[in-house]
Amino acid sequence: MSEPTSYYVMLYKSVSYALKAEKILKTEGIPHKLIPVPKQISSDCGICLRFESGFQDKIKAALAGKVEVEEIRLLTNG
Amino acid sequence: MSEIKIVNATGLACPQPVVLAKQAIETNEKVKVIVDNDAALENVKRLGTKLGCDVSSKTQEGGLFEITLTRKAGAPLPTQNIPVMCDTSAAASGPFVIVCAEDKMGRGNDELGAVLIRAFLHTICLQKEKPDIMIFYNTGVKLTIQGSEVLDDLKELSAAGVEILVCGTCLNYFEIKDKLDVGVVSNMYDIAETMSKASRLLTP
Repeated sequence: MSEPTSYYVMLYKSVSYALKAEKILKTEGIPHKLIPVPKQISSDCGICLRFESGFQDKIKAALAGKVEVEEIRLLTNG
Repeated sequence: MSEIKIVNATGLACPQPVVLAKQAIETNEKVKVIVDNDAALENVKRLGTKLGCDVSSKTQEGGLFEITLTRKAGAPLPTQNIPVMCDTSAAASGPFVIVCAEDKMGRGNDELGAVLIRAFLHTICLQKEKPDIMIFYNTGVKLTIQGSEVLDDLKELSAAGVEILVCGTCLNYFEIKDKLDVGVVSNMYDIAETMSKASRLLTP
């Protein structure tokens, strides 16, 4: 619908890393959205951050040395 | 004078066509609603009659029906809230309602609860079967104001025809009424009535 078709999601080892990352991105003003980890990636009740591809480098730079990122994945459809 | 607002409610289950028709006639003089089943046809016609509109309907090709609701000249819509009625079957006669009684999901840890409610509303937003009505009260109203983390999701739900009722007493208590950014200010009469007639009531 109004959502673009492809996103990246950034996965973390724990919920607290995700929250810490979110705080940093908020402070830096980098657009993102906290969402549940998509079912096709994991059935655990985890959360991750979703962002549009253009922000990937900015986000990586902002989190470097501060938050341990487990994985970044391209996501299609939601 | 008037442009006709066309509402395509085909493929939607009751009471969604009625909800969409009601929203449309609230801001338009004349509304044409297209539905694809008898129940929706009857329910939309009944809504029009209740709202004091001129109602006409005709059958289109392919099993579609077209209902035209026209506000009577000079007659305002009733200010009283007309309930969205939907009597297709006894089993599912009321709306699917989600009640957010807090700005968090679950009890125990507030930081976690705040994350969970965001994940919950995001998921509801993506879900095919959306609620007909969402009610926000107590600290739940904080989800509907400017700066809320879930505002985009709620706006998307609202745009998809979900009716969003926000407790006025609660907005007033927290002194945030001027910051309301999605939904309509509601009252205990509507809230209690909506909850009472719900076929399904879900609280995160």
